[in-house]
Amino acid sequence: MKANTPALVLEGVSKSFDEFVAVRDLSLVVRPGTIYGLLGPNGAGKTTTIRMIVNIIAPDAGRVLLYGQPMGERLMDRIGYLPEERGLYKKMRIGEQLRFFGELKGLTPKQADERASGWLDRLKLSEWRAKKTDELSKGMQQKIQFITAVMHEPDLLILDEVFSGLDPVNAELMIEVLHELKAAGRTIILSTHQMEQAERLCDDICLINKSRKVLEGSLREVKSGAGRRAVALRAENANGVLEDRRLVAGVKNLGDYSEVVLAEGADEQEVLRRLVEGGAKVTRFESVEPSLHDIFIQKVSEG
Amino acid sequence: MRKLLVIIRREYLQRVRTKAFLFATLLMPLFVVFTAVAPALLFSIKSGGATRIAVVDETGQLYESVRDSILTSRGEDEEGKAKAQPQMPAGGMPGAQGSEAQMRQLGKAIGQKYEIEQVQTHGRPTEEIKRELNGRVKKNELDGYVILPANVLSPGGRAEYRARNLGDMIATSQIRHSLRRAVIEQRMRDAQIDPRRVRDLSKEIEMDALPAKEGGEKDTGQSFGLAMGVGLFIYMGILLYGQMIMSSVVEEKTTRISEVLFSSVKSFQLMAGKLVGISLVGMTQFAIWALAFLLLSVYGVAALASRGMKFALPGIPPVFFLYAFVFFVLGFFMYATIFMIVGSVVTTEKEAGQLAMPIIFLSVASVYMIFPVIRAPNSPLAFWVSISPFFSPVTMLVRIVTETPPLWQIALSVGIAVATILACTWVAARVYRVGMLMYGKTASIPEVLRWLRRA
Repeated sequence: MKANTPALVLEGVSKSFDEFVAVRDLSLVVRPGTIYGLLGPNGAGKTTTIRMIVNIIAPDAGRVLLYGQPMGERLMDRIGYLPEERGLYKKMRIGEQLRFFGELKGLTPKQADERASGWLDRLKLSEWRAKKTDELSKGMQQKIQFITAVMHEPDLLILDEVFSGLDPVNAELMIEVLHELKAAGRTIILSTHQMEQAERLCDDICLINKSRKVLEGSLREVKSGAGRRAVALRAENANGVLEDRRLVAGVKNLGDYSEVVLAEGADEQEVLRRLVEGGAKVTRFESVEPSLHDIFIQKVSEG
Repeated sequence: MRKLLVIIRREYLQRVRTKAFLFATLLMPLFVVFTAVAPALLFSIKSGGATRIAVVDETGQLYESVRDSILTSRGEDEEGKAKAQPQMPAGGMPGAQGSEAQMRQLGKAIGQKYEIEQVQTHGRPTEEIKRELNGRVKKNELDGYVILPANVLSPGGRAEYRARNLGDMIATSQIRHSLRRAVIEQRMRDAQIDPRRVRDLSKEIEMDALPAKEGGEKDTGQSFGLAMGVGLFIYMGILLYGQMIMSSVVEEKTTRISEVLFSSVKSFQLMAGKLVGISLVGMTQFAIWALAFLLLSVYGVAALASRGMKFALPGIPPVFFLYAFVFFVLGFFMYATIFMIVGSVVTTEKEAGQLAMPIIFLSVASVYMIFPVIRAPNSPLAFWVSISPFFSPVTMLVRIVTETPPLWQIALSVGIAVATILACTWVAARVYRVGMLMYGKTASIPEVLRWLRRA
């Protein structure tokens, strides 16, 4: 595998179920060793896209290339998949379960046991090894399922809503683990609704809405291309300036402070000068980028 | 291939190691033995010792012979005669003769005891005596009493038995029989006939039923029992393990494990692994039972015989075990693939249960077919039923046990079963693949047909 071969390429991939088009002519490129965010509202076609990537269903048209090779049965072991809807065998012991899933991904029983031990330690679950799934909390089951997706050291890891069900402590642990995996050269596709997490983790993102791609690029590009500038402002006596439509497009009260969206062509320094000249008492004035959350909502409501 | 083995191993070990499997394996033979022996054991438990009976003899001739007859419970010789007579005794249910004879034998076998006393009439009217005896029964001095009216010896005479507990069928039956015998013998004596001579002359002859071949062993209904038992066994195995497949599929669907599995193995491998793994569980259980049966027939029968109990196990030719194995496997795969389809289109265990009803009816129908097939194993009905898919495993095996059909018929039956299994697997593989990824609602039949075309 050459270093510059994309980890994953989708070329004009489409899939419909009867009359319903789930994915329409989707193309995307995932660079190796990055975290790629596959974002979109419910029913946008994310799950179908992922199922085509992991070879559960075949696309009607287009190609899926994993490290330059067409996706097929041979390549299934190079992918690790954590589905959004997840499950483990309820009555099976965790240790046996991990060995089973490891073997299904081509590990020997011994390898599977060793990897399982390592991961159980890392995720602080070692003492649960002999327990049955039934006896574990939701968050623990979630982490076990995560292990089944990563234990065979896949080149491409696809995680659908990996943070759901995790408490803040475990969510931090998960973020840490994802950074480690990325540092180890693995490619990760993160499908999520949680924009804050995506913003913290992703290098590149792709936004899908109504079975089409509506936005793609690096996080930087996406944010600067959003064409929207805003200022976080906390000030007294600022009303006069904020009602000037030549400078301010809108104000959103966020409690402790307000988010002031600048009008097109307006300069934030000009706004600050006008505020000070107008006798306002400014305690916070900070240029803010639009959050992924805002971009998501804007794009989805446009579509 | 390696992944297929991984799946088979999981399906097998996860089931064989459960306590449920252990219990079912151990308890099933115990249960069979228990249901066979328990009724007799329970009947034999009678508290309170002897049954106390008073006899009111208005003829003045019968008391001694009635008492002896009840106390000795002799007279098995007359049984055949009683059966042959069309007239029904008072209170007897038509058609209940056979079971009544059984009751009597049972009573004899468990040694029912009686205490008999005579009630002196002293010319009192019957009503008064009855009142008095009712009072004694109420005070628990008696369990019951018999009234023999003066005309009981004339044709059409009737006796009366009144007791606290008429539910004690053994006692009622023994008393009825004893009365009848005493009265008949008295009538004979009145007609100057020696009852002993009549008994000797009317002794039944035995008829041995044997298969029409060289050196056949005497058949005393074992082949019927064997055929019935084998049919039911196969039916139970198929249903039990077929439904095990269904709930396994439903579990993987509802917990969404299937999604992970499908990203690791082909759906066909998963399906095949499940079928093979669970069929192995069934075979393991059957092997244990067969072994237990063999041990029982070798040691158990010897042990029983040494205690003087006659207990004949039907002789089973070894090739029969091979046939039983083949038809169990065929039946299992036929039904299991259908159960698998059901499991993959539903969304909950409950729905699966409802949708599985027609399949269960089908298998129950095959059990009902056992009866006509046993009676006429070479009739056209038996032939057609035993080559029809879904009916053949049970019915063909019954035919083999009762009257082995020509080899070509067995081969045809196996061939049709194999073809059915292949067709079902083809359908199941497609429906399963699509069904397992469809969440939210149970698929309708047109939808399922669309999946078939698309896949």
